[in-house]
Amino acid sequence: MIRKYIALLRMKYIEMLAYRLATFVWMTGAITQPLITMFVWMNIHPEESDSFVFYFMAVIFVERMTSAWDVWELDREIREGTFSNLLLRPLHPIHWAIAENIIYKWLFAVILVPVWVVAATFWPALRPHMTASQIMLFLMAVVLGAALRFLLSYSCGLLAFWMTKVAAVYGVIDVISLFLSGRIAPLEMLPPALREWSEWLPFRYMISFPIEIATGAADGGELARGFAIAAGWMMALIGALQWLWKAGMRKNQAVGG
Amino acid sequence: MNMRRYGRVFREFFRACLVEELEYRSEFFGNFIASFFGIAIALLTVHIFFYQTDRLGGWTYGEVLVLLGVFNTLRGWIDFALRPNMPRLLEHVRRGTLDYILTKPVDSMFYVSFRHLVFWRLIDVALGIGVIGYGLYVERYVPSAADVLMFFVLMTASLLLIYSLWMMLMTTSFWVVRIDDLSFIFDSFFDTARFPGSMYRGAVRFVITYVLPAVLITNTPALALLGKWSMVAVLAALAVAMLFLWASRRFWRFALRFYTGAGG
Amino acid sequence: MIRVSHLHKSFRVHRRDAGWLEAARSLWRRDYRVIEAVKDVSFTIEKGEIVGFLGPNGAGKTTTMKMLAGLLHPTSGEITVGGFVPFEQKPEFKKMMSLVMGQKSQLIWDIPPMETFLVNKAIYDIDDRSFRRTLEELTELLDLAPLLDKPTRSLSLGQRMRCELAAALLHRPRVLFLDEPTIGLDVHTQENVRRFIVDYNREHETTILLTSHYMGDVAALCDRVMIINYGRLIYDGELSVLTEKLAPYKRLEVRFSRLPNVDWSEYGEVAEIEEGTIVLRVAREKAAGTAARLLERFDVRDINIEDPPLEEVIARAFWEEHV
Repeated sequence: MIRKYIALLRMKYIEMLAYRLATFVWMTGAITQPLITMFVWMNIHPEESDSFVFYFMAVIFVERMTSAWDVWELDREIREGTFSNLLLRPLHPIHWAIAENIIYKWLFAVILVPVWVVAATFWPALRPHMTASQIMLFLMAVVLGAALRFLLSYSCGLLAFWMTKVAAVYGVIDVISLFLSGRIAPLEMLPPALREWSEWLPFRYMISFPIEIATGAADGGELARGFAIAAGWMMALIGALQWLWKAGMRKNQAVGG
Repeated sequence: MNMRRYGRVFREFFRACLVEELEYRSEFFGNFIASFFGIAIALLTVHIFFYQTDRLGGWTYGEVLVLLGVFNTLRGWIDFALRPNMPRLLEHVRRGTLDYILTKPVDSMFYVSFRHLVFWRLIDVALGIGVIGYGLYVERYVPSAADVLMFFVLMTASLLLIYSLWMMLMTTSFWVVRIDDLSFIFDSFFDTARFPGSMYRGAVRFVITYVLPAVLITNTPALALLGKWSMVAVLAALAVAMLFLWASRRFWRFALRFYTGAGG
Repeated sequence: MIRVSHLHKSFRVHRRDAGWLEAARSLWRRDYRVIEAVKDVSFTIEKGEIVGFLGPNGAGKTTTMKMLAGLLHPTSGEITVGGFVPFEQKPEFKKMMSLVMGQKSQLIWDIPPMETFLVNKAIYDIDDRSFRRTLEELTELLDLAPLLDKPTRSLSLGQRMRCELAAALLHRPRVLFLDEPTIGLDVHTQENVRRFIVDYNREHETTILLTSHYMGDVAALCDRVMIINYGRLIYDGELSVLTEKLAPYKRLEVRFSRLPNVDWSEYGEVAEIEEGTIVLRVAREKAAGTAARLLERFDVRDINIEDPPLEEVIARAFWEEHV
């Protein structure tokens, strides 16, 4: 299996190089929205500008490190029939998606970490103040967030076996995620009703939770609870994925191919 | 340019695409819901901001709503007429089928911009207008006749400006054939226009006000409707729009020369 | 090698009429009709055979092939391929077979074919030595050397097909399914691909099932053909036998300096008439004799005796319910 992953990662790496320019364009899109939102908040509470700068830069970073576009890939592959090509090979198609995710996250890290380091030397607001254990927990939370987003994305992608408007369904989920994951506003700025929802739904653990760890907003009991809920969602999504996969295979073998 | 003739051609595009879209009537319902959902989310976002404050860049809640309505209306027009044509232009350039269009007795820039229209996006335009109305209501402001007139003039200027910027972006596809969707860049840029320009600070504010006038596009018509316009500003907006329109046309011509020269 | 018994496949298709009312109604009441794509098909293919699978569009060819590859689950009936049941999709099954679809490539678009080969090597658990040997063999047979390091998108259709075949054969499958392998290729590449398939089959005794619209493929590759029409297998046997049964005649193409005014029916059935040339269909046994008579009685510039074109034979088959 390791050898298979090495081969897949190598291939995805070369493929990624062919898409350098396109990836760059997509990245700029992921940057402008948080920045605009940052300006809004700096306008609302000018006295907290520094913490907003850190927060939204962190949003950009964590969002890129957890991003998953498998829903669109799967939708296209299933609709165009190229998914069958993957089914014919003796390797579960999900590994291809996982390999692609790993390569691109590596790429984003390689770009964003140096940028952050350089930016932090000019703007003290960007300098993180984290203990070693905080850094560890932060990284764990990021990995967990990436897994959650991937599972959600892939599961929605599998819906393409049944419906044609998968992108629309995911669009709705993504919009909800905008609010509840902390991308429109740091969660403590939200009206209490939304804050309630954000605690129990998985979106917070995709973006906000790692940032809360980094800023020290979440610690002790809050920390443990957060990880527990996130882990719970991970189990649930893995279960959903397995069920969707089996059902999808049955549907595909009945009508598709 | 023979305006009557182009009016007729545009009507034909309109009719052809309408018929095409009516084929998929069940889609209509879904699109309707999607548009409503979109505007609801935008309103919720503004609401969340105003939960914490009562002024954004100096603008009140009602004023920001009017701005949002203007933004939505303009974006509806973009999605209706401009966006559907971008990937098609890329295809034409990549496949060389642009030659087919160049031999038609219609101005190529016009054809490439308006051939395909997506009707249900007009719902966004309608919803935008609705939000403008709502904002005016919240603000308790009734625009005067002059306000409304200036509003329309400035909206026209904004549409021309949007068209020019969009066209220039589309034209770059002659050289940058690898990227599938350049419209992404425009979206990111245009997104800055969602909010009052006075909100931004420093270098950013300078750029989006004077270099790539995103702020001009949405803020000026909104302010006009709220009674805050000046003749100078209106004339300046028109002048800028004309300037960019001229620039985009030159760029298109340049690109065509490059294309026909290289392709042969 | 391949055993198919009483295979049925039917699809439920939702019937959606145009119009507002119908579209709304379809939201809760599902009107559907049943399409029987494959009806009671049975056949056996032995190891090393190359069998052609013919039929008009929509006859059930691709559906049957997908069932053989495990992509579709039969409605009823049994299939075994190399001892495996395809739709169970066991990894061992996948490692011993290969499906090449003329229009859907498995090569990754933006990177060189070699990279796809390396991925396949890992996925199919091919060891280094076998991989190198197989790759050498395929590179030589298919003339791949200049192609392997260029991105797939920069290759022509013919070049891509050759790489596609190589990718499909790297793991030395025992069974090869080819779905329209020469579609869209120029004549020269078509011939190369055919030659390759024949050579490869002779060398490795791979069982090959291919569907094609091109009679050239069928004539060059298949001793045995199966014809499927409206979901039923209407013929399963040798091509020569089919020709004899359906088209027991020869084509006589005769060129005169000036076309004589004669009642041709005493010589044979008129198929075509042109400037100075006439084409007659004559029963096989009588062909030689008729030719001799024509040469005797008329001023003949040129005469040609041919087997009926395969298209005609197959086309006649499609008209039959049972051959």
